[in-house]
Amino acid sequence: MTASRLGVAVAIVAVVAVLATVPLFSSDVIVQFGINALLLAVLAQGWNIIGGYTGYASFGNSVFYGLGSYGVAIAMVQWNLPFAVGMIFGAGLAVAFAFLLGVPVLRLKGHYFAIATLGLAQVMSAIVSNIGIAGQNIGLVLPPLNNDHLFYELSLGLLVIATLTVFWLTRSRFGFGLIAIRENEEGAAVMGVNTTLYKVLAFALSGVFTALAGGIHAYWITFLDPDSAFDISLNVKMIIMAVFGGPGTVLGPVLGAFVLSAVSEILSSKVTNLAGLFFGAVVVAAVVLMPRGVADVMRQFRTAGWRYFVENLRAHRI
Amino acid sequence: MSAILEVTNVTRRFAGLVAVSDISFTLGQGEILGVIGPNGAGKTTLVSLISGTLRPTSGDIVFEGMRITGLAAYRRARLGIGRTFQIMRPFPGLSVLDNVAVGALFGHGSGESDLAKARDKARTQLEFVGLGKFASQRAEELGGPNRKRLELAKALAMQPKVLLCDEVMAGLNLVEIDEVIDVLRKIRESGISILVIEHVIKAIKRLSDRLLVLHHGDKIADGQPDAVLSNSKVIEAYLGRRRA
Ligand SMILES: Nc1ncnc2c1ncn2[C@@H]1O[C@H](COP(=O)(O)OP(=O)(O)OP(=O)(O)O)[C@@H](O)[C@H]1O
Ligand SMILES: [Mg+2]
Repeated sequence: MTASRLGVAVAIVAVVAVLATVPLFSSDVIVQFGINALLLAVLAQGWNIIGGYTGYASFGNSVFYGLGSYGVAIAMVQWNLPFAVGMIFGAGLAVAFAFLLGVPVLRLKGHYFAIATLGLAQVMSAIVSNIGIAGQNIGLVLPPLNNDHLFYELSLGLLVIATLTVFWLTRSRFGFGLIAIRENEEGAAVMGVNTTLYKVLAFALSGVFTALAGGIHAYWITFLDPDSAFDISLNVKMIIMAVFGGPGTVLGPVLGAFVLSAVSEILSSKVTNLAGLFFGAVVVAAVVLMPRGVADVMRQFRTAGWRYFVENLRAHRI
Repeated sequence: MSAILEVTNVTRRFAGLVAVSDISFTLGQGEILGVIGPNGAGKTTLVSLISGTLRPTSGDIVFEGMRITGLAAYRRARLGIGRTFQIMRPFPGLSVLDNVAVGALFGHGSGESDLAKARDKARTQLEFVGLGKFASQRAEELGGPNRKRLELAKALAMQPKVLLCDEVMAGLNLVEIDEVIDVLRKIRESGISILVIEHVIKAIKRLSDRLLVLHHGDKIADGQPDAVLSNSKVIEAYLGRRRA
């Protein structure tokens, strides 16, 4: 490990340690904001695996989130099982979904993949609305646990694990295979990368972290219904955060989630209606600044950096 | 010379067009087989059929005695079939070194699992094709001739038994062509059998043990380079193209 690498590692450990102590001296509001921001960062990081590293802009990750939420809720409410078992169950559902739907859907490329995944959350919401043990369209109420400190530390722990996993990707054979798929899928296949298997594994890994975040969130807010659990706007949020921070990088999506959560929070405390507009504004900005979409940003950003956005602005003659 | 690759009655259609029509040939162990033919003759399609990025409409492909006709491209790569692309498609955002490391990480026998060792092997291949000093550059920053070399290094890092080269000399000047011929000869000396597609007749005549000529998807000649190049059908195919 070089000196600068060591420096970065030490700095990150220090930041995590400081973040871990936040609940000890902060108000309830800040801790609650922290839980939300940390969970969003996990979602952005989870999306980063399939979208940022593998190059498949998934709109199906809100399905993983919903499955994780319902996994915990069903296990705890209907079967009286502990939270941890619910988390494993939810993650298992996500993996099963990734394998069942990943195989056909991941054959599609580019926009076709994005559009195909866009419909998945709607379909899942409709299915779950008709399942008895999921509480049909009324939803489920979980046993309350008034311990925000615990939820905060759980969320932070999950984010650390997700980020370490992504870090491992950047230096593993598996991660190299994913990056090769993103850069040139046919080229990867003729060099020996089992592209179908790797894409599905990336989708499943992305799904596990997303589901675990959903599970923590469900237990924390103690209530869920199909529409909020399979909410596509959450998927849009994770993409914006990951893309804003830097897709296909280890820390970018985490920073993106923190920065955008903070800005959104500040806006909502000043002017209540503005926060709702915020992500809409980010989307408009995205269309103007990155008109060729997420995939292009992923390709160009690493070379051009922020200049990329300036050039797009110029192209619009604004 | 025993055959490492046998292609038997292979046909590939695209909608109405027959790109490769009932072609049979063999590639001998340690042989350099040149494949020539006018534009659109079906040369690239043939390489894609062998490497597995396309499936034949009919016919059989046997590698080391094993039928691989329906096998996925990645499995053929792991068996030891490496190819380069005529339309070069490196991993644009990765460094030149990491482009080649992918070949070492996967490739023949499913490769090297340790990233540091894979990069070491990649560096050796880069030196071999003369790209050593570009290792840390992004692949998309390389110019044309160097991209050709990168294609070769990527395929070689897979440690293939058979190397399929699709126009690795196109667009190179005479000096560069000599360098590539030299590199390909060394590759053969290391025990790799080579199928090489080329438009530069002079170069391929010097390099090949045998020549195969395609025209409109048909095999019109197969044999000693001198004999093939004086074959009237072959001369006609090439003159016909010039007249058109
Ligand atoms: N994917 C495809 N879909 C439809 N037609 C194709 C496809 N690939 C190749 N062809 C057609 O098949 C024929 C053979 O093409 P191929 O690329 O194999 O020729 P080639 O001998 O490599 O030519 P060149 O010297 O120009 O590289 C051409 O007529 C081409 O247009
Ligand atoms: Mg060709």
